Amino acid sequence: MTKIFRKSNPLNKMINSSLIDLPSPSNISYLWNFGSLTGLCLALQIISGLLLTMHFSPSINLAFDSTVHIVRDVYGGWFIRNVHISGASLFFTCMFIHIGRGIYYGSFKNLKTWYSGVILFILSMLTAFLGYVLPWGQMSFWAATVITNLLSAVPMMGGTLVETVWGGYSVGDPTLKRFLVLHFLMPFSMIAVSLIHLVFLHETGSNNPMGINPNMDKIPFHPYLSFKDILGFSFLLTFLITFSLLLPYLTTDPDNFSPANSMVTPPHIKPEWYFLFAYSILRAIPNKLAGIIALVMSLSVLLLMPILIRSNKRSMTFMPLMQVTFWLMVCNFIFLSWLGAMPLEPPFILMSQISSFIYFFIFFVMFPLISRNEDKILEFHAMYS
Amino acid sequence: MGKTFGQLAYIRHIITFSLSPFEQRAFPNFFSNGFPNLVRRFRGQIFRIGPPFALLYIAFDWTTKTHQALLRKNPADYINDE
Ligand code: HEM
Repeated sequence: MTKIFRKSNPLNKMINSSLIDLPSPSNISYLWNFGSLTGLCLALQIISGLLLTMHFSPSINLAFDSTVHIVRDVYGGWFIRNVHISGASLFFTCMFIHIGRGIYYGSFKNLKTWYSGVILFILSMLTAFLGYVLPWGQMSFWAATVITNLLSAVPMMGGTLVETVWGGYSVGDPTLKRFLVLHFLMPFSMIAVSLIHLVFLHETGSNNPMGINPNMDKIPFHPYLSFKDILGFSFLLTFLITFSLLLPYLTTDPDNFSPANSMVTPPHIKPEWYFLFAYSILRAIPNKLAGIIALVMSLSVLLLMPILIRSNKRSMTFMPLMQVTFWLMVCNFIFLSWLGAMPLEPPFILMSQISSFIYFFIFFVMFPLISRNEDKILEFHAMYS
Repeated sequence: MGKTFGQLAYIRHIITFSLSPFEQRAFPNFFSNGFPNLVRRFRGQIFRIGPPFALLYIAFDWTTKTHQALLRKNPADYINDE
């Protein structure tokens, strides 16, 4: 009997069963590209980040200047930095769409895949925050100050916790050094968690837009979805090149072009766009601890998804009311993000309070009620029309 | 790890087929069937996706305009000024 190379040893078998002979639903749409796209973003961030680290000096006296040095003096350094900046935005764009797909099509019912995904989401938010501090601009410094200070609201041990994270009595040199170490380390742990994510996914196989059992009609991953993923990659790379060559500082705060100065607080401290929804929720509540709890809750809703959305259909494809609610959630997310970038003046304050309320109202009232009752409403409608 | 081909589901009379690369058409009936289908799918979704975005626009518009109005002084207070 001839030996088939792709099944000839344990390593080849593993690659074969997850990238070549993997049975995949024949009807998955382009929305199923975003997992591999997020993975590509992670790889690109690690490569560009590695190159940046080679020329970066993690000391408060040198960090800002060494970043400028990378852009001005290092051969191709400007491009590497632009790719890393635009890449971070694309990473979160892909991740948000990936999560939205999971909510819309009920993919969260693959519990282990979903929960490992939530861990990846938290890890990437932490990593992005740590990386933002490194160039030691004004916004880097003040973002670090504001966010680390959140820990001080922890009862009993808040003060100790903050000083432990700072490595001193304010954000300073030890903070910068440990942030570089962690920012370098965490993406590698994300690779490990991504592989776990895939192991769990392949245990059950992918969900599909109809939310039905796809086992009756499956196609091998290669060549069908391998080529579809490559097509997705080429789109992502096109966007990445376009943004990093033409609009590199599109989302960068102008304040971050000034070196960090602990004596001058910028008038409008705000994070990068992908954190704005959570920042809005944090700011909407005047009490510090309550604000932080709301912030944590805004992310924890993902963990509760399998309880919040329950219906006899897996996917929203056949649930028009759920679809409207879903898009309401998306629009409210955009509104909340926009408000997060606005100064704390009326009417933005009131609107972000209303919008934060709607955020939780959709997740804790509308999704549970509508998902559990939509079929009855539609049946009733069908009976009397 | 996971299920492999051949043990996915209980199916009788499995038919496998393949198409010669010389017979494949990448975009069959792209304009005659594909385009009307695009229109049909768009019409099926527009009233579920459109209204939330319309609300978003109204909220955005109202908030911006109210903010600008609040930054201005009331012109009526200065009506008798030289
Ligand atoms: C570094 C971040 C991530 C990477 C690299 C990643 C990668 C992937 C890949 C390659 C797939 C299979 C292809 C696909 O269905 O798109 C997948 C599926 C999935 N991911 Fe992720 N993912 C990440 C983050 C997340 C997050 C944050 C969540 C949710 C909170 C999540 C939830 C899921 C779910 C539920 C599936 C199964 C989808 C289905 O079968 O319908 N992932 N992921």
